[in-house]
Formats: sequence, C-alpha cells, structure tokens
Amino acid sequence: VREPERPQRNPGAVASLQLTEQGKMLLKKGEPDAAISILERAVNLNPSNGQNYYYLAEAWLFKGERDQADEFNRLAELYLGTQPDWAGRVREQKDRIRGSRRQ
Amino acid sequence: MRKKSYKGRARAPWLRALALAFVLVGVGLTLYGWFLSTQIEKRFSGRRWSIPSRVFSDSALLYPGQPMGLSALREKLHRLGYREVSGEPRRKGDLRATPHALDLYLHDLVVPSRRREGFRVKILFDREGIRSIVRPVRNDPVPILEIEPEEVMLLFGAERERRELVSIDRVPAHLIHAVLAAEDSRFYRHKGLDLRGIIRALYADLRQGAFVQGGSTITQQLAKNYFLSPEKTFSRKVKELFLSLIVEAMYDKDDILEIYLNEIYLGQNGSVSVNGVGEASRFYFGRPVAELSVAEAAALAGLIRGPNAYSPFVDKERALKRRDSVLRTMRRNGWISQEALRSSLASPLKTVGPKPYARNAPYFVDYLTSQLETLYPREALSSLGLSIYTTLDVEVQKAAEKALARGLARLERSNPSLVRSEPERKLQGAVVVMHPKTGYILAMVGGRNHAVSQFNRITQARRQPGSAFKPFVYLCALDRFTPASLLPNKPKSYEIEGKVWQPRNDEPMTEGPLRMREALARSVNLVAVDLAMQTGLDRVVKTAEAFGFSTPLHPYPSLSLGASEVIPLELARAYCAFAADGVLPYPLSLKEVVDEQGRTLERKHMSIQRVTSPEKAFIMSSMLRSVVTEGTGKSLAKYGITFPVAAKTGTTNGFKDAWFVGYTPDILALVWVGFDDGTPIQASGSKAALPIWADLLNAIPQYVSGGWLEMPPNVVKETVCSLSGKRAVNGCPNPIEEVFLRESVPTEYCRLHQPTNSIQRFIEGIKGLFKGS
Repeated sequence: VREPERPQRNPGAVASLQLTEQGKMLLKKGEPDAAISILERAVNLNPSNGQNYYYLAEAWLFKGERDQADEFNRLAELYLGTQPDWAGRVREQKDRIRGSRRQ
Repeated sequence: MRKKSYKGRARAPWLRALALAFVLVGVGLTLYGWFLSTQIEKRFSGRRWSIPSRVFSDSALLYPGQPMGLSALREKLHRLGYREVSGEPRRKGDLRATPHALDLYLHDLVVPSRRREGFRVKILFDREGIRSIVRPVRNDPVPILEIEPEEVMLLFGAERERRELVSIDRVPAHLIHAVLAAEDSRFYRHKGLDLRGIIRALYADLRQGAFVQGGSTITQQLAKNYFLSPEKTFSRKVKELFLSLIVEAMYDKDDILEIYLNEIYLGQNGSVSVNGVGEASRFYFGRPVAELSVAEAAALAGLIRGPNAYSPFVDKERALKRRDSVLRTMRRNGWISQEALRSSLASPLKTVGPKPYARNAPYFVDYLTSQLETLYPREALSSLGLSIYTTLDVEVQKAAEKALARGLARLERSNPSLVRSEPERKLQGAVVVMHPKTGYILAMVGGRNHAVSQFNRITQARRQPGSAFKPFVYLCALDRFTPASLLPNKPKSYEIEGKVWQPRNDEPMTEGPLRMREALARSVNLVAVDLAMQTGLDRVVKTAEAFGFSTPLHPYPSLSLGASEVIPLELARAYCAFAADGVLPYPLSLKEVVDEQGRTLERKHMSIQRVTSPEKAFIMSSMLRSVVTEGTGKSLAKYGITFPVAAKTGTTNGFKDAWFVGYTPDILALVWVGFDDGTPIQASGSKAALPIWADLLNAIPQYVSGGWLEMPPNVVKETVCSLSGKRAVNGCPNPIEEVFLRESVPTEYCRLHQPTNSIQRFIEGIKGLFKGS
C-alpha cells in the first residue's frame, strides 16, 4: 500500500495559522473561551497543525479543565513531538498539567 | 323671604344630586383611570413583545487559495442580504460583481465575543477558486476573511411575528421625522390628543366624501394596537382617548415613540408578520435602520397607513407616490432641506426582496432544539429573542440535501419497483456531515422531506449497520494481527443459543486466506466473523462501546457483520475517531446562545476523548483507504473522487439498508438509504449510498484539501510478501509495502519464496540483521 503524497500547497494551512495567532492573542488577553472558539476553527482548517492543540491545551488549563488540557497536550505531542523547537514546550506543558492535578 | 327660602330649598336637592353625580363620575373616572394606568404599567413595564429566537449557521471563512467559486459566494452574499450595485460599493451591503471579482462593502460582523465594523473588500477569483482578497483603498491583502453567519431558522411561538427591537437612540432623525410626517406631525406638541389633527382629518374626509385621513395621534394608535380590539365602536374610541391621555401622563414622548416604532405592523412575509421599523428596514431594504437613506425612511414611514396597500412588493408606483408625499410633508415641516427633497424624490425605490424567511436545515434545527430544550423551556425559545449560534455550514447543508434528493430519485429511476405513491412510504435516506477532529456537525439531512416526516433518521433511527460495523472488529483485532496477516476465508458454522448459524460471503469468491487489509477492503464476511471469534466477542463489544454507541451491542458472532442496531449519528461519530488520531469528538451542533443584550448564556466547545491509540487509528484509516483504492468503494473514482479517502460500505441482510461512511482528514460524511419499514431496496451500499456521498463531496471543494493523515511516529512501513504476509525476500513475486504498529512488525522472512542458493540466503540473512536493528 502506498500512503498518499502530501499536496504541494495547502492554502487552508496558511489561513489556519492566521487563526492560531488570533487564538494566541486572545489567550494572552485572558479570554480562554474566545481563544478556544478561534482555535477550533483553526483545527477545522488544518487538522495537522499541532500548534492549535498546544494552545487549546493552554486554554483548557487556563479554565481548570485538566482532562481536556491533557487530551490536547497528547495531540500536540503527536504533531510537534519531533519538532525540536516545540518538543520541549509540549513536554513542559505536560508537566504543568500534571503539576496542576497534584495541587 | 319664604319664597327665597322655598326656592333655596327647591334648588338644593337638585344641586346636591348634580354635585353627587359629579363626585360619582369623578370617582368613577379616577378609578377607571387608575385601573387603566395599572393595565398600562403592567403591559409596558414587563416584556413588551415575544421575539422569536434566531438560529444562525457558523460564520464562513474565506482565504486566498480556497477552492470556492465566484457564483457560489455571490449566491451566499445574496442570501445574506447584499445588494448588487452597478457602481462602486459605497454603503454596507453593496456588492458589485464582475466576471472575475466580487467587490463588496461588508456588513458589520456581530458574533459572540467579536464585533467588526464593515469595510470594503475585493475578492478576486481564478479557475482554482479565490485568488486574493484585498482592501481596495490601499490594496492591503486580507489573509483570512470572516463572513457573517446566515440565519437558518426562527423559532416562533404562536404569534408568528417577527421584530427586531431598536432603541430610539439608534433610529436616525430622518426616520423619526418621516414617521411623524406620515402619521402625526405635531406629536411632540400635543398631549396624546390632537384637536387640530382631528378637525383637519374631519375636513379632509368631508371634502372627499370618504374616510381619507385618520386623526389618530401616534399615542392613540399605540393605545389601540396595545390594548384594544380592532372593531370600531364609540365605547372603544372613548377608551382609546382615555388610554392615550394616561399613556402621555405616564411616559415621556421618546419612550412612547420608541414603543410605537417597535410595535407597528409593517407588512407580511408569507405567514409571518413584519413588525417594527427595525425588522421592516431589513425586510424591505436589507439594512439596519441606522443605515436607511432619507428616501428609504420616507418609504418605510409611508407604509404605516397601509402596509400591504403601499408595499413596494405589491404596487411599486403606489409606494413611490406615498413615499414622495411623506418626503414633501417632511420638507413642509422643515425637517429636510430642499436639496435633500430634490435628491430623494429623484432616487428610485430599490428594495431587496421579498425574500421568504429562512427555514433551512429543519432536521438539524429539530436536533438542536431538542438539545436547547434541556436548557430552556420551549416558550422561552420562542419569545426571548435569543440568538443561537451553531456549527451548521449552509453550503454543506445545501449540497447534502441536493445530493440526497438526486441520489434517491436516481435510484427510483433505475429501479421503478422502489417508487411509492404515498409520500410517507417513499424511499428514504439520510446524511450527516462532520468535522472529524472537532465534532462540528456541518450538515444534517434526516429524511427526504421534513414536511412529510419529521422523524430524524440520523439521530432517531436505529438501523443495522451491516458491514459498516466491521472496522470496529478489525480495530480490536489489531492487538493480535497486522494488516499483512493472512486470515482464513472458509465457511464455518457457529452455534448460538443452541442454533447453528453459518455466515456467507455477499459474493461468491474462491476460498483461501486473505490479507487482513484485503479482507476489509473487499468486506469479506467469513473473515470478519472468524476475526471476531478469534479476538473475542466481549472484547469487540467493549471496544465498540468505547466508541460511543449507546444502543445495546450483543456479543453474538453476527455482531461482526453489523447485526446490532446503531444510531447513524453515533456511527458517524465513531468513524471520526479513525480520522482524528483515535480521539472521539462530541458531536457539536450548538456553539453559543446569546440574549438580546449580547450576553452569552450558554457556550459549548469541542470536547474530545481518546478511545484508541493514534497508531491504531492511522492503520485503520490506511486499511479503510484500500476500500476505496481496491475494494467495495472503488467506484468512487468513477464519480470523480480522486483525492485520498478512507471509507466503508455497508449493506444489511436482504438489502434493507445501504450505507457509505467516508472521510478525509478534513471532513466525514455518512449516507444511509433504505425504507422506514425495512422493505429491501435491492441495492448495496456501494450502489445506493456511495454515489450520494460522491455527489456531496464534489459539490463542496472548499472542504477538500487533498491531504492525508500524518503517519504517527510509532507506525512503521515494511515490505512484505503479499502471499505469505511475512517480510519479503528477493524471490517474492509480489512484495508490497505495508504499515505496522512498531511492536507488530513481522520479524520472520517469507518462507514461501526462500532464495534458492546459499549466496542469496546469506545476503538476505545479512539484510535481516540490519533491518532487525
């Protein structure tokens, strides 16, 4: 079986990154619900953009929903785990989620 | 003196009686006035109107490179009330279309937690779709553009009135003046009754010999509309006068005018009445009151006297004359300049409709309402004017409805025995479309005709899934087998509760082992049953239950062939987990509920739960892709589906149900076809449901990225012999690349095609050593 090639260009991925940035800004402003709404749309546009899962995990952690934060962190790990600049952040996030469970 | 005293005595009782009568009338009037004032207070201080809640779709996102055509977007913009103009778009809602571009002035975007002022934007198209989006003034590129949600449906109560409330502060002065000019020029100068107005009206009526002018003030009209029945009697008129005086005493002029502007009846749209200037402004001119021109305001005010007689949709000439008359009165009162009068009189009467009020996606709305009713009473939904934002995509919904209608009609044409004359017995079908990762429900068609049957076959039906259930058996078996494992394809008998059951394949095929991938692709029954028995039926049930099936799954061998009934939405949701790295999403239809003041009352986000590993989910998707490339779904290519798709067909015993569930990383759709009473449709899933799926996906290119799932790190590729399922050696005639869980990669080499001489055996051995490391 041959796994399909990735398409050369994915305009949805570019648009998705725009939304990721917006979601990130909303998180910074302390608006997790608005950030989640935007990041969900970003996931719909490009389901393999791991950054969206990372920030979704942050938003859920912000809201104190550790189970959801954990699920999204695992997805972030799946997509970003091999990217050197992200792998550490994802691990650190996992530790924070675990830490918040212990508290 | 006596005479005088006699006279005094004679007059006294009469005077006393008169005085008493006055006192009694006075007390009576006071009590009546007090009674009326409590009625007014009660009516005006509480909730004044029942406002239907509005259900909205999700907003649309546009971006360069998106495969969306100009005509599809133009149609959407028309639905959103954009008006075509020939010149440059200058006002919000203006749209200019050229062969390769749409130039528009966006409406304001008002969605929960976001508000954006409208601005001008130009969308350029090429053969692929949207080429670029720019702001024309400075040519700034717009990387992503959000277009406002579409109104899907109104949740009416018994009144069937539509009204958009506006505050007096947001009503432009020229609209207020137009209304005063049309109905009550001296409104701010009288105390509820206008004697001058009454005399003028009487004079006009006498001169014309007919009732041509009403003398009622705005306050009287309000009193009449709010508190009185429509019949014309003397007592009702007296009551109207009393009410007007009391209303004027209790409220200030602006309050009265605001209530009036929101109350007045201004037309009819089918069975729904259009009330208030806010609603009428959108109905006739497609814009909010704040954006009405002087001429449009005059036309709207002119309607009050006879909304249907002066409707521009009924008689444009008459509406124009009435508008001009209002404009002249405005000028006479000094409310507009001579120049404004001249330009307004010269402007054409341009309207946007009539556009029937939306009643889209009825099955989706029913499903949504059933969820909302767990949060709010039904009465609240039809009266509190809530805005309900959903996940619905109107384009996908329309494509799904069209694909289903066409597909069922095609089936009936190809097999006339499926045709039924009674509407409620007709061949049925259902479609649901979801985002597999987030669980957003993009479209839901629960049946062929909602007017005939409101039974939602996506959320309420329980049907056998047939072979569409097999992936859950195969998933469970991945703990012991790999896609390359050779599985027996031989008839066997099973004893169930003392009875012998002998499954058969749907089509005759040569006996002999099949690779797991091949068996799933070709939907081989004997392999599926054997696999379930080897894996353990209880384990299969447990695995499937984790995927969210709420209907009972019975641990019989026939479970592997989809004998236990499922709810179609739950089946679609379960498949989402294969497309979403083993994560099961909650099927989401409601996103947010907002009250009239814009406060969020309820908010729902995507919610996910891991049900299998990303590695197993990927391998399942890989095997389900073979259904399309070499198995029962191969005909998808014939319908123009060339991008990577994973799918499964399903056909139940005696052809009672036909299924097709297919997905890409971006979208998942499930199609079911069958009769409600279980009459056979004499067609398989690939014949009856697959073409509908293909038709649907072809109609929504904006959802097709052409991409495929990313291979998780713990999935590895290995070349195996297609005949032995073991690692391929040089002599294997048909080596194939296969995907494996890292821990399940075959370690043994093919023994069927061993190298014949010792040198080859040595080379293979060395290769094996390196691969093993």
